[in-house]
Amino acid sequence: MLSVTSLTRRFGDRTAVDAVTFDVRPGRLTGFVGANGAGKTTTMRMIVGVLGPTSGDVLWHGSPLTREQRRSFGYMPEERGLYPKMTVLDQLVFFARLHGFSAPDADRRAHELLERLGLSERTGDVLETLSLGNQQRVQIAAALVHRPMALVLDEPFSGLDPIAVDSMVGLLREEVTAEVPVLFSSHQLDLVERLCDDVVILSEGRVVTAGDADALRREGPVRYRIRLAEGDCGWLRELDGIRVLDAEGSTALVELDDLAPADLLTAVHAKHAVTEFAPVVRPLSEIYKESIA
Amino acid sequence: MSTSTGTPVWRLVAERELRTKLRDKTFLAGIAFSLVLLVVALVVSSFVGGGSDDYDVAVTDQGSSQVVEQAQTALRATGSTDDTVASRSFDDVSAAEAAVRDGDVDAALLPAGDGYEVVGNDEVDSSLRTALATAVSKSALASNAAEAGVEVSALQQGTGLEQRLLDPEADQSGALQGVAFGFVIIFFVTALGFGMSIAQSVVQEKESRVVEILAAAVPIRAMLWGKIAGNTALALGQVVLLVAVAMVGLNLTGQGGLVASVGPAVGWYVALFVLGFVALASLWSVAGAMAGSQQDLQSTTLPAQMILLIPYMVSIFASDKVSEIMSMLPIVSTMTMPGRIAQGGVPLWQIGVAVLTTVVAAIVFVRIGTRLYERTLLQTGRKIGYREAFHMTDTAG
Repeated sequence: MLSVTSLTRRFGDRTAVDAVTFDVRPGRLTGFVGANGAGKTTTMRMIVGVLGPTSGDVLWHGSPLTREQRRSFGYMPEERGLYPKMTVLDQLVFFARLHGFSAPDADRRAHELLERLGLSERTGDVLETLSLGNQQRVQIAAALVHRPMALVLDEPFSGLDPIAVDSMVGLLREEVTAEVPVLFSSHQLDLVERLCDDVVILSEGRVVTAGDADALRREGPVRYRIRLAEGDCGWLRELDGIRVLDAEGSTALVELDDLAPADLLTAVHAKHAVTEFAPVVRPLSEIYKESIA
Repeated sequence: MSTSTGTPVWRLVAERELRTKLRDKTFLAGIAFSLVLLVVALVVSSFVGGGSDDYDVAVTDQGSSQVVEQAQTALRATGSTDDTVASRSFDDVSAAEAAVRDGDVDAALLPAGDGYEVVGNDEVDSSLRTALATAVSKSALASNAAEAGVEVSALQQGTGLEQRLLDPEADQSGALQGVAFGFVIIFFVTALGFGMSIAQSVVQEKESRVVEILAAAVPIRAMLWGKIAGNTALALGQVVLLVAVAMVGLNLTGQGGLVASVGPAVGWYVALFVLGFVALASLWSVAGAMAGSQQDLQSTTLPAQMILLIPYMVSIFASDKVSEIMSMLPIVSTMTMPGRIAQGGVPLWQIGVAVLTTVVAAIVFVRIGTRLYERTLLQTGRKIGYREAFHMTDTAG
C-alpha cells in the first residue's frame, strides 16, 4: 500500500499542499479529484520524487519510500513529454532499460505493449509524426513499460475520446495486478465515478473526503425514488418520518429520516399501485460539491 | 548508480546521446565539412610552403642533360634533400619550349652563346635556377680547366662554402605554428560545437517535458554524467578522426618530417582535450538546465563561452612569460600547451602541472555543475540566472 502522511509543500508563503494524508490501496484505482490548483499535481510530483516535500512522508507498506522503490513507480506527468524525434520503439526500450530491464527484455516488453495498444505498425515511426491520441498511448506505455510497482497518473485521460478512454482503461485493468496501487487524477467526475474504487477529494491543498467510493455514496441519509402507476405524489409530504426532496406528478424523491424502507413501501402501496421503489445512490458530483462547499 | 540488474543509467544516457547524434544528418554533414576543410588546408599548405619538389627540365643535347644531373647534386647540397631534378630530352628547341609552355616541364636548359640559358614560361623556380647555375658553372669550370691544363681542384681551392645549421628543425617553425594554431582551432570549434549540443540536448528534454519522467525514473546526476560521457566520447571521436586524417594527409603530401616532430604533442593534445572538455561539459549542461527554451541558451551559455575564449585571447596577446604560465591553466592549456610541446623545449613538469590543474578543474566543475543541474533541471518554463541558481535549495528528492 502506498500512503501519504501529512504531506505539505509550500512555495514561498503559499501552501499548495497542506498536511495531506491518504492511502492508495493495491489492486484498486484511486481517483484523485479536485479543482484546478487544488494541489493534485504538486502532491503527485512529491509522491514520485521530482519535487521535495516541505514536510510529511510518502510511505510504502508503512515505511518511508526508498529511492529504489520510488524508481520502480510508473509516472505519467500532467505535462506530457517524451523525445519527439525518437522512434516509438526506441523510446519505450530506453525507458524500460532506465528502470533496469536488460536490452532483450526491454525490447520484448516494448513490442508487447505496442501490440496491445494497436501500435505495432508504428514502432519505427518518430514520435512526433503520430497523432496526439497515439502519442498519448505511447505516453501511457512509457509509464507501464517497466511493470511498475505503483502507478501515478496525472490526468491520464484528458484529451482522449471516449473510445480511446475505454481502451486505455482496458489496458490499465490488464496491466495492473492485484499488488499495484494506482492513483490517477482527473477533473472528469463521471469518469472517476465509473472507474474508481476509491476516491480522494482535494480542495485548496487539503483532503476533504477520502475513502471507498461505494461507501461514500451510501453515506448520509437514505433516498428512495417512488413511481406510482397513476395518481399524484403530493400527499407524501404529509407522511411522517420522511422528507420529500422532489415530487412531480406520479414520481417523487424522498429521504428517509426514521422510517424503514419496508414501512414506507407498505404505506405507499396501501394507497396506490407502485411501479418503482428503488434506493438512490448519491452521485460523486454531489459528494464532491458537498465536500468542497 | 546502477539499477539492480541492468546497465548503469549514465551509460544508457550516454548511449542515447551517441545514437541520436550519429543519426543526425546535420551533425554528420558538419563532420564531413570539417574533413573537407582539413584536406583543402593540407593540399594548400603542401603547395605553399615546405614539402618536396620534383623538377623536370627539358634538354635538347647530351651536355645539358649532364648539367641537369649535376644540378641534382647541387640541389641536395643546399639542404633540399627531398627534391629531385630530372632531365627530359626533346628533339629541338621549339619542342622543348612547347613543353615549357604547356607546363609539361618546369623549365628548359638550352645551349646559348658560349653557355646556357634557362627557359621558363612566366618564371623559373629560384631554387631550381640556383641549382642549375651552380651546375653550369661547375661544368664550365671543369671544361675550362681541362683546356687550360689545370686541375679543377686547384682552381676550386678555397671556394668551398659549407653549410652547418645550429637548429636544423627551425625551417619547420612556420609549419609548427600552423600545427599549433590547428590545435587551438580544433579544440575551440569542437568544444563550442559539442558544448552547445550538450546544452541543447538538455533544454530539449526540458522543453519536451520528458525530463519529468526521467527525473522520476533515475537520479538526476546520472543523467548529467551520461550526457557528459556521451558528448565527450563524440567530441574525442571527432578530434581523433580529424587528427588522424591530418597526420595521414601530411604524410601523403610529403610533410612526413612534420608528423614525426609533432607526434608527442598530438598525444598530449588528445589527453588534455578530454580533460578540458569534461571540465567545460558540466558548465554547458548547467547552461541547458537553466534555460527555459532554446532562445535562453544564448545568455546561459555565455560563461562557458567566455571561459573558452578569454584566457586564450589573453595568452595570445600577453608576454611570453605570461602565456607560458597560462598554458598550464585548465582549458587554455588544451589550446596552447600542445602547440608549445610541438615547438619543443617544454619541461615535463610544466606539462604535468597543466594536466593536474585541468584534472582538478574538471572535478570541481563537475561537482558544482552537478549541484546546479539538480537544482535547476526541473524548473521548466522559465530562465534561471546564475545568481538565483547558486542561492536555490535542492527541490528534487
